Amino acid sequence: MLAVSFHRNLRAFALAACLATLGGSALAQTLTLAMSAQPDTLDPQVTAATAAFQVGKSIYDTLVEVNQAGEIVPALAAAYTVSDDGLTYTFELVETTFHDGTPLDAADVVATLDRIRAPETGSPKATEFQAITGVTAADDRTVVVTLSQPAPALLATLASGWGAILPSEKLAAGHDFGNQPVGTGPFRFQGWVRDNAVTLARNDAYYQGAPALEGVVIRFVTDSAVQLQGLLTGEFDVIDTVAQADLPTVEASPDLELVREPSGLVLVAALNARRDYLSDPRVRRAINLAVDTEVVMDVAYNGGTQVGTFMEAGSPWYPEAVEPFGYDPEAARALLQEAGVPQGLRLDMALPQPYEEHIQAGQVVQDYLRDVGIEAEIRIVEWGVWLSQVYGGPFDFDVTVVGHTGKLDPSGRLSGIGDPTRNYTGLDDPELVELIATANRTSDPEARADLYERALVRIHEQAPFLFFGTPDRIYARRANVDGFWMTPLLDSFDFRQATLR
Amino acid sequence: MPAAVAAGTRPRSGVAPPASGGGAERNRVSRYLLTQTLSFVVTLWAVLTLVFFAVRALPGDAATILGGLDASQAQLESLRGTLGLNRSLPAQYVDYLGDLARADLGTSLRERRPVVRVLLDRLPVTLTLAGLAFALSLLVGGLLGLLAGLRPGGPFDRATLLFTTVALAVPEFWFGFLLILLFAVNLGWFPVIGLPPQGLTLAATWNLLLPAVTLAIPRAAQLARLARARVLEERGSDYVRTARSKGLRAPSVARHIAANALPGVLPLVALELGGLLTGTIVVEQVFGLPGLGLTILGSIAARDYPVVQGVTILAVTVYVLVNWLADLLQLAADPRLRAPS
Repeated sequence: MLAVSFHRNLRAFALAACLATLGGSALAQTLTLAMSAQPDTLDPQVTAATAAFQVGKSIYDTLVEVNQAGEIVPALAAAYTVSDDGLTYTFELVETTFHDGTPLDAADVVATLDRIRAPETGSPKATEFQAITGVTAADDRTVVVTLSQPAPALLATLASGWGAILPSEKLAAGHDFGNQPVGTGPFRFQGWVRDNAVTLARNDAYYQGAPALEGVVIRFVTDSAVQLQGLLTGEFDVIDTVAQADLPTVEASPDLELVREPSGLVLVAALNARRDYLSDPRVRRAINLAVDTEVVMDVAYNGGTQVGTFMEAGSPWYPEAVEPFGYDPEAARALLQEAGVPQGLRLDMALPQPYEEHIQAGQVVQDYLRDVGIEAEIRIVEWGVWLSQVYGGPFDFDVTVVGHTGKLDPSGRLSGIGDPTRNYTGLDDPELVELIATANRTSDPEARADLYERALVRIHEQAPFLFFGTPDRIYARRANVDGFWMTPLLDSFDFRQATLR
Repeated sequence: MPAAVAAGTRPRSGVAPPASGGGAERNRVSRYLLTQTLSFVVTLWAVLTLVFFAVRALPGDAATILGGLDASQAQLESLRGTLGLNRSLPAQYVDYLGDLARADLGTSLRERRPVVRVLLDRLPVTLTLAGLAFALSLLVGGLLGLLAGLRPGGPFDRATLLFTTVALAVPEFWFGFLLILLFAVNLGWFPVIGLPPQGLTLAATWNLLLPAVTLAIPRAAQLARLARARVLEERGSDYVRTARSKGLRAPSVARHIAANALPGVLPLVALELGGLLTGTIVVEQVFGLPGLGLTILGSIAARDYPVVQGVTILAVTVYVLVNWLADLLQLAADPRLRAPS
């Protein structure tokens, strides 16, 4: 048995929390955060929306979680072991209670993982659990998960928002977690007025020590100008969006602080390889050479780091050998000529509404493509139409712009492109599919890293995308906010150590 | 039709229609109510059928939206099964009408709770907003129109003309932004975001003033114009000349003019009340108010068919009720309509 066990210094945690509580007790410590998106539901098992997990992070806990450094560390599982063949995971649970007072035990974990795998639940994340063949309670505090094949990505899945542990008693009763979430998290759910706010109150029984804040209010404010006004007047303490035009205002104000850190997004323009000319990798590479992606990133996404393959910049998985394509219109023209692309080739560029930044990026791309003799015709499509007609079904596009959110494990990023039924770029490359599938089930870390590296190099060469880059995660807070952070890659809000000075 | 209601309404003044056979009257009243109800049901069915198929004709469904970029085809299919979206369109339609007959509006696909709950949560915000805006526009528009019409060409009349021209030329969301900038950002009298976290409370009704003013401005202007025109018309009538010549004081004359101008204004008032519903969609968006306007936009984007249909039912019902109310009010305001035919 390969034993991986962790001991958390709970006492230090509790002490820090006590001190923080003492320091802040003079003030009504409620932090208000304004976010631009909003959850569709707070049931972590029936949605794929980032917003639902951003809010859910404060209500629910997971067996393992991601720390500020991006590492997976123990959470509700105080320790876990993985069998040598990678097929059995054993989790030892901490002692804690759900917000309704029932204690956490192994049966809760079993019921939770059974529900997300059940087809009738309809979880969009169910595939991530498909290697699981059984979840059993060895005793009250011990859960054993058995797999049909090694799934090195399992811990990443369990650390994500959709790995949230729910109380088995309420699951059995068919409780409406979507509207009345109950978890073990640092804050209890108080109320939710849709299109308005979610209100949370401190969970004094939190197993890592009660948070310093008495409460958290998450307000749903679509308009970034309104977010900024609220931050300036003090109605909001943190806002999750700052428009490019407002960056100087925030930077100039002594009361506000701008936070810039790496995000987990990969921004791309997908090139539909099912279409004439675009089926030729030379043409796709030429398009990459024809566009100055640094300008795209600056104009549309407030800056960031360019990438040359389908992995976020700064990721440990990003292959050293892969450079961004670079801007070389001469080489692009030569390649296009070599591939026999006629002058004035018309391409249909579908851009998703209401994502203004992607529409802007598309316009910049249009200008650059015109320089090499390609006429991209912009077509704005509503998000629901985009999902069903462009990203899915008839794949009705030549070029389209979108951002792929951060994933804790490379399998999350690459499985889509490695699955012919889900690959919207239409890249037909059995070798790549095989590389990704093998990597997904390889437990040996070095062999796995090597396989993903080869896959990512191949994606660079095949260029199913015009690769833009990874933008910075930009948000702003009032200067008196301390200890608030967002989970790397997952973007969840973490208020556990937050205080207001 | 109006004459038939006369016995049912028994209006305030003493100008009651001469009593005819009570049984015949009752018959006419019940026939009126029957035709009204029938026309309501037919209108509702027609509009609902149109909305039912139109919203399903939009590409994509709730499953594609919930699934986002990560869901596989198989997962989307199972999600469709969970949401009841994998059955044939006619089957869904028949089921929906059947549920509706049992007063069941269905379950929201996005919120996963009864549509009735969704609507009841949102209705107070929109009703309060629309009610405030309606009262404001009536008060301001009626008063401006009356005063302007009584002294045509005077400075007040000209000021009113300027106000109505600007108010009708400028889109209402622009007024909204202006009011936010002035009263919320610069003066700090209102929060920049519509309502407190817990939603609409008695204390928070004050926050609805800015959006209500935004909504009322163009409607008050329209009303002021029509009221002014009607007052001008009445001003030239014989009865006004007679009243003046027998020495009636100006306020009393004005009261007579107002009473006679009112029936001509009422249809517009009713129309405006219906129009407020669409107006709130824009204003709720500008002020970030959690009302029915944001609900309808959100549920179309999420392909939450049952909620879109629920809001439709509500809108049609309000529209029909308002027009019916306008009929009755007009009867009350204009004794001539109550004369037996």
